[in-house]
Amino acid sequence: MFLTRSEYDRGVNTFSPEGRLFQVEYAIEAIKLGSTAIGVATSEGVVLAVEKRVTSPLLEPSSIQKVAEIDDHIGCAMSGLTADAKTLIDHARAETQSHRFSYNEPMPLESCTQSLCDLALQFGEDDDEGGGGGGMSRPFGVALLIAGWDADVGPVLYHTDPSGTYVKYRCMAIGSGSEGALTALQEHFKPEMTLAEAEVLALSTLKQVMEEKVTATNVDIAKVAPNYHLYSTDEVEGVIGRL
Amino acid sequence: MATLTAGVPKHAAGAAGIKQHASWSPYDDNGGTTLAVAGADYCIVAASMRMSTGYSIMTRRSSKILQLTDKCVIASAGFQADMKALHKMLQSRNVTYQHSHAKPMSCPATAQLLSNTLYHRRFFPLFTFNICAGLDDEGKGAVYTYDAIGSYERTGYSCQGSGKDLMQPVLDNQLKAASPLLIPARGDTVEIFVITKEGVRREELELKKD
Repeated sequence: MFLTRSEYDRGVNTFSPEGRLFQVEYAIEAIKLGSTAIGVATSEGVVLAVEKRVTSPLLEPSSIQKVAEIDDHIGCAMSGLTADAKTLIDHARAETQSHRFSYNEPMPLESCTQSLCDLALQFGEDDDEGGGGGGMSRPFGVALLIAGWDADVGPVLYHTDPSGTYVKYRCMAIGSGSEGALTALQEHFKPEMTLAEAEVLALSTLKQVMEEKVTATNVDIAKVAPNYHLYSTDEVEGVIGRL
Repeated sequence: MATLTAGVPKHAAGAAGIKQHASWSPYDDNGGTTLAVAGADYCIVAASMRMSTGYSIMTRRSSKILQLTDKCVIASAGFQADMKALHKMLQSRNVTYQHSHAKPMSCPATAQLLSNTLYHRRFFPLFTFNICAGLDDEGKGAVYTYDAIGSYERTGYSCQGSGKDLMQPVLDNQLKAASPLLIPARGDTVEIFVITKEGVRREELELKKD
């Protein structure tokens, strides 16, 4: 796919003659190296299940953070360069708090996602262009699954990528196992699922695409129903028991 | 007359030999009275239409109520220029909100925004006394009442402006039980906004023009 490299794959502001922005495409490729993350939305809430790659027995698994809380009603799973996600999540946390301050209400999920994508697009801006993101040298190398609960809509799941595109999904997977996971999800997802069924679907799909055996230490599960909650080891074991 | 009048007491100025320019206030009090009553699934907002300064009537037909959405209005008494500036800003914030969040600003959200707006002017306040009223997210009638610097409270009914000292006791006395209300009103015209789930209806009531 990228055999025809040329000077066009250097700058983030130059289209290739075929109309492509290589750095953005490479950033999207970087996500395919990341650990797998799955999101499933049901009418009762949204479940996020992520793989944690415990690369060494000396590693403290609880220090790997692949799911994060943005606000009471928004959680997010990441894949790719997770260090980049920190910047995005800090931004989203500030935005959601600012919305609460101004309007005394939770921020709508699409607005939060839009503000993240605005930041993701700032890689193309100059130093003096303002907007806070000036001087960014490259696009963010991370994809997010943003799970939330909207006051007037209910459970919502968005997918964002380094190009700043966001799309709403009922079910989505990102990371190295995303292709396999999406096939499995397409087969087994039903819109009328309960939250408990979605937990099992998310984790069993993750199990299929993971190289390691699923344990309570190498996966994280979180839900937004209607508030964000990261599962404890016992709760994860409970879901593993139901597989 | 404005209660927030800047100026140094004359005797102090004279004693210290300070040169004093003619006393000038950035504020005026253009009077007016506003009132809102919340019901189970409706809300009624009324405001006088006279705009005056001192003993002079500047106009008999000036609206004090800003309809932001079909679920929320703001009624303001006090200084007309500040009221106009506030309404213009809230209208624009409302449009911006609809663009960024794809829905109209709810009444509780508008109430918080109004409080923040007023408090941002803590040390040069807008001389306006506001009521934000409409229907909340559950469709219940909502009345939020403010002081000039943004302290606010959700109440069942409220009134503001020059006539509030006369009106509040009547409301307190009459609104404990549902009964036909007779508000002691004098002036030119009262405009009345009735907010229900069907939308907003505007009515006018002519008063004795004395």
